[in-house]
Amino acid sequence: MSNYRIMVIDDEKIVGDMAKLSLEQDGYLVETFLNAEPALARLKEEKFHVVVTDYKMKGIDGMEVLRTVKKQYPGTTVIMITAFANLDAAIEALRGDVHDFFPKPVKIKELKESIRRALAKTSAA
Amino acid sequence: MKIEHKLVLSNVINGAFLILIGFFAFQNMNLVLTKLRFVEIADDLNASFLEMRLSEKNFFLYHDKKALNEIREKISGTMKSLDAAKKDIIPAIGEADLQKLESNLKAYSDAIGETEATGHPFQELESKIRAAGRKLSEYSDSITQLERKRVNDIIMSSKRILIFSFWAILASALLIGHFISQKIVQSLREIEKMTKSISEGNFHPLDGVRPRDELGSVITAINSMSEELAHREEQILQSKKLASLGILTAGVAHEITNPLNNISMIAQTYAELYDKLGEKDRIEFMGKVDAETERIRQIVKNLLDFSKPKDANPKEEDINSVIHKTLTLVQNMIDVSNIDTMVNLTDGLPHVFVDAHQIQQVLVNLVTNAVQAMPNGGRLFIASRPGKGGDSVEITVMDTGRGIPPEFLPHIFDPFFSTKGEGGTGLGLSVSYGIIKNHRGEIRVESKVGVGTTFTVEIPAHYKNKEINNE
Repeated sequence: MSNYRIMVIDDEKIVGDMAKLSLEQDGYLVETFLNAEPALARLKEEKFHVVVTDYKMKGIDGMEVLRTVKKQYPGTTVIMITAFANLDAAIEALRGDVHDFFPKPVKIKELKESIRRALAKTSAA
Repeated sequence: MKIEHKLVLSNVINGAFLILIGFFAFQNMNLVLTKLRFVEIADDLNASFLEMRLSEKNFFLYHDKKALNEIREKISGTMKSLDAAKKDIIPAIGEADLQKLESNLKAYSDAIGETEATGHPFQELESKIRAAGRKLSEYSDSITQLERKRVNDIIMSSKRILIFSFWAILASALLIGHFISQKIVQSLREIEKMTKSISEGNFHPLDGVRPRDELGSVITAINSMSEELAHREEQILQSKKLASLGILTAGVAHEITNPLNNISMIAQTYAELYDKLGEKDRIEFMGKVDAETERIRQIVKNLLDFSKPKDANPKEEDINSVIHKTLTLVQNMIDVSNIDTMVNLTDGLPHVFVDAHQIQQVLVNLVTNAVQAMPNGGRLFIASRPGKGGDSVEITVMDTGRGIPPEFLPHIFDPFFSTKGEGGTGLGLSVSYGIIKNHRGEIRVESKVGVGTTFTVEIPAHYKNKEINNE
């Protein structure tokens, strides 16, 4: 299960750091970004299988990341995490074809499970 | 003296006047009656005297002894009637005049007596009788005339006095009435002035000498109402703060969730990688946990600081630092509402003498209103600059929200006025108004429907030699 690339975008540095440490244990290649602009730029250079993004960010926010990715890289799965847990945000995200939606605090095991399912789906397809 | 007592007193004075005049008129009437009674008697006497003179003439012409008898009868009749009417005559003309009249009558009677004794009239005797008779009737006539004149005088003077009294009573009633109503109006004006300041939010007790009348009681009542209002205002201030706190909490919850998530993720990763981590890594992990805990502590402290009831504690402050402190409280609320903030603070502003906590409350309230006016997001400008006169500072909070209709603008600082339906208490702006007013400042609003609203708070600059009294 190696060579899967995962991108984590969150303006909280610790989220990226911890996700990277933990996901690398499972053999994923992980890159982290504190905001969306360089992340979207990086997507142009490299294919990522999964993008984990925060919902609420300064500048380009999670919903915009979701829309851009879905439009330009339909094969890439988007998982959203948010500190601002409200139903409207979740519904909006699901309409935008998000794979999963996690309110903070995030259970890393659940996140990994979600990633595994997403990758199984894409490799099966 | 109470107004009630003043009115009673003025009535008593006027009443006493009336009684006095009544008594005087009654006295005059009695006097006139006495005089008239005398005039009546005098007329009878005069008639008798005339008859005597007539008989006297007959005697001289015809030497008829009968005529002398007639005169004698008349004299004794007159003597009797004079004696009988004595008690009516004396009060009218006095005892001296009566005696003089009697002595004249006696002299006439003596002259007649002398004639009778001699038997026939002589030239000498005749003239003596005529003289006595003339003197008698002339004197009687003069007294009668005098008394008529006196009656006339008394009636005239009574008339004058009554007319004068009428004007005097009228004038005194008008004057006293005017004085009392003047007093009442003056006190009412005083109260009006005092209550006006209360309606503007100055709940200071009314000073000055309190009149010891009904108005004094009104002032006492107003003072106790003022005290109660000041007390209530504190409660409203606190409850309004708690209401803002509810709104802030949504933002704060989001703010706390981030460090909480960080701690949680550190803990999960720490457990997962425990064996692979060196001692240095472990200590670093725990250091991060500690730093995140501190973040939460700060957020909670900020919130608690805002919510705690506090006595006003004005200090010299830099208004920009107050604005910054406020922003840390409201930033998250703004962020989650899809609102862009632009902060433009002017450096080097004069310091202000304020209760930072209260000013913070005003700013939180203005920002909260702005955020609520932009449910679909928008832009919020917060700026500080020198006031127009140069001896104040101005803070503006401007939004691109729905704006306030012009017909509501004059009322937005009124207590309990709200355009938010059930969502608003209608106290936020009135409390803000009260706070700024207590700081000798001003709060103004400009708004255009569909364009946005700008609130401007102006606070006087603080100069060290000039203490600004903040109560």
